[in-house]
Amino acid sequence: MKIKIELFGASRDFSDQNLLEFDVDSHSTIKDIRKKMLNYLDINFSGNENFKKIVNSSAFCSENNNFISDNYKITKNEKIAIIPPIGGG
Amino acid sequence: MLHAKIIDTKEKKLSIIEAENFISSHDYGASIFFTGTVRNQNDNKSVIGITYDSHDTLVTNSFQEIYNEADQKLNIKDKSVYIEHAKGYLNLGEISIIIAVACKHRDQAYVLSRYIIEEIKKRAPIWKKEHYQNNDSAWLKGNPIINEKN
Repeated sequence: MKIKIELFGASRDFSDQNLLEFDVDSHSTIKDIRKKMLNYLDINFSGNENFKKIVNSSAFCSENNNFISDNYKITKNEKIAIIPPIGGG
Repeated sequence: MLHAKIIDTKEKKLSIIEAENFISSHDYGASIFFTGTVRNQNDNKSVIGITYDSHDTLVTNSFQEIYNEADQKLNIKDKSVYIEHAKGYLNLGEISIIIAVACKHRDQAYVLSRYIIEEIKKRAPIWKKEHYQNNDSAWLKGNPIINEKN
């Protein structure tokens, strides 16, 4: 299965495409997606600690705009969003 | 009555006049207009502008939730609220957010206006990237919606 991760805020620096895409096993969880992202950062950004901190402190949101927990299971090709620490106004 | 919207700065600027037109009513005796604007200093750095990013749907959902909560938490049922937040690049002094509220009495209007901005700061998925005089730029740290994992 393929999962697309839409990038927002500071995580936009992870890619020029504003999107990351990973192959994942069926029933992978958000926890597994975090690991995939950390691995991607190790390979592409020499393990940039600031970037990794963003992944570890972010929430995730489903395609239908609900926040999802680390136990949320991916059961189909899906697009989710990473929600880094916020600060508008 | 609520107006809640994200405005792309490439398309238009936030307008106090539009906010006033929306909340203006003979039903209300008190109105408050709050604006957030881009300032020239942060953490001893000279700021020349800010790029705002937003998850538009989650943001407008959060505005709606905050408005609804005012009924229960603040017991302010009769009100008119206008919230717009900018998305994209803003120069110094430009308006990033307008919160306009109208209520029957001033106590309610002050409480409601303050409640809305504080909750937006905590809950609305909006991000700021500051641009500095030395051509550098940086995303601001922000507050996590969840606890950090490591």
